[in-house]
Amino acid sequence: MIEVRNLWHIYDGKKEALKGVSLTIGNEIVALVGPNGSGKTTLAKHLNGLLKPTKGEILVDGLDTREHSVAELSRVVGYVFQNPENMFFEENVFKEVSFGPKNLGLSDEEVEERVRWALREVNLEGYEDRHPYSLSGGEKQRLAIACILAMKPKYLVLDEPTTGLDEKGAESVKKIVRKLHRDGHGILLITHNMELVLELTDRVILLYNGEKAFDGGVKDFFELNLRDYSLDKPALLKISSSLGLGFFRDLESFLDSALRRVSQ
Amino acid sequence: MISSFYVERDSFLHSLDPRVKLVASFLGIVAMILFNSPYALLPLFLFILLSLRFLGKIGFREQWQVLKPLVPLMIITMIVWPFILKPPLFGLFFGFGYALRLGALGLITFSLLLTTKQRDLILGFIKLKMPYEIGLTLTIALRYIPTLYTLTMTIMDAQKSRGLELERGNFFTRVRKTIPVLIPLIISSIKTAHELSIALESRAFGTKKKRTFLHDIKMELRDYISLTVILGLFIAAAVLRYKYGVGYVRI
Repeated sequence: MIEVRNLWHIYDGKKEALKGVSLTIGNEIVALVGPNGSGKTTLAKHLNGLLKPTKGEILVDGLDTREHSVAELSRVVGYVFQNPENMFFEENVFKEVSFGPKNLGLSDEEVEERVRWALREVNLEGYEDRHPYSLSGGEKQRLAIACILAMKPKYLVLDEPTTGLDEKGAESVKKIVRKLHRDGHGILLITHNMELVLELTDRVILLYNGEKAFDGGVKDFFELNLRDYSLDKPALLKISSSLGLGFFRDLESFLDSALRRVSQ
Repeated sequence: MISSFYVERDSFLHSLDPRVKLVASFLGIVAMILFNSPYALLPLFLFILLSLRFLGKIGFREQWQVLKPLVPLMIITMIVWPFILKPPLFGLFFGFGYALRLGALGLITFSLLLTTKQRDLILGFIKLKMPYEIGLTLTIALRYIPTLYTLTMTIMDAQKSRGLELERGNFFTRVRKTIPVLIPLIISSIKTAHELSIALESRAFGTKKKRTFLHDIKMELRDYISLTVILGLFIAAAVLRYKYGVGYVRI
């Protein structure tokens, strides 16, 4: 479990980015939402120790992030950055994925096994010899996830994993997230995409001006007046509520219900 | 410092014509190279500090921010000289002058950027008969320093999250560890440059030889007076140096 206790972060002694945020994350899919500049990334960077608290503390499975380096914490919390290209530097996919496990000081066999496993998890088998930069946008995103996955962290932070991807690319990222959750990973999803939140997550944490404005179930979240936080409801929920049909997580169940109503 | 170095202030230096500031910066740098004795360089250095503080309203704390990254280099310069120049104490003293030179070069360059909008800087370059392309290239280069800095930080964070420990190991392992940061940085820079050139061309860059300007700059009485004062000071410095040998130590 990741426990964030009364976390404050003040940049350069001036800008208050986080003002007393407390939360816990277990083996669940949690969405971290909020307008630009609300402190989402600042919060996420604390979870693997890239940033250290100005005040308050974070315990990752009992480890205090102030006392452990990013390298140590990276075994427990994986952070997939928004732009995959910001991390690719090797000449092929295999070497790229093995960078992380190698840094953990594993044996060559163990590294190879992990790389194969991670590539299988994200459906990139057979891509081992391709150049990372020659992949498509969706493949790059999946490769980025594999790079972190190969370090076998228990928790994963995904920063805008579907931004800029086409429907097919986004769909495969969603599938991976669901599978990782089933396998026991805790996942924190930073996103602006409310459709993704609706489809994928059980719990939503809303940050606003560096404070936690909401923390609860996805259904309750979409009952908030999201306009107050520069966010908007997904079209699906707008249509279903104007039809008086209630709450749906995906298009299929909405269509089922709508068709049933029409046929009655 | 995200997009530009410029800081908005209501000061004499801010309101001065960019051409005057360009000439002054150039002459200032030449003056610092003219002398090599700390007896001359220290007063010159202090003169720069004070004129930035009082004419440019750039506080000492902000000046320190500019100088801070140069300090290691300045210290190295200073401790290298006693090995070249004997007696050692004299060498150290002489090295101190060289360190001041270095600091002054940094201060002068940054004070130009801190007090002049990029737009005005380009205009200044062009009005001094520099080709527009060179002025633009120069300002784009300066403009991208903070952007590249931010990008470097992001890439470092991304690689640290993959278990890269930049702080560990001896000098050579550390150099090798910069590869995972340097390669994404270089690729990203080349891509950005390419996109930038497309953006420039799609806005008809280079269609006409003679450009027109939305904003124009004009030399006013104040600017002419300042220019005269600067030229006067420089000539005085040159005369002191070459006619009377002030502030120069022959080694």
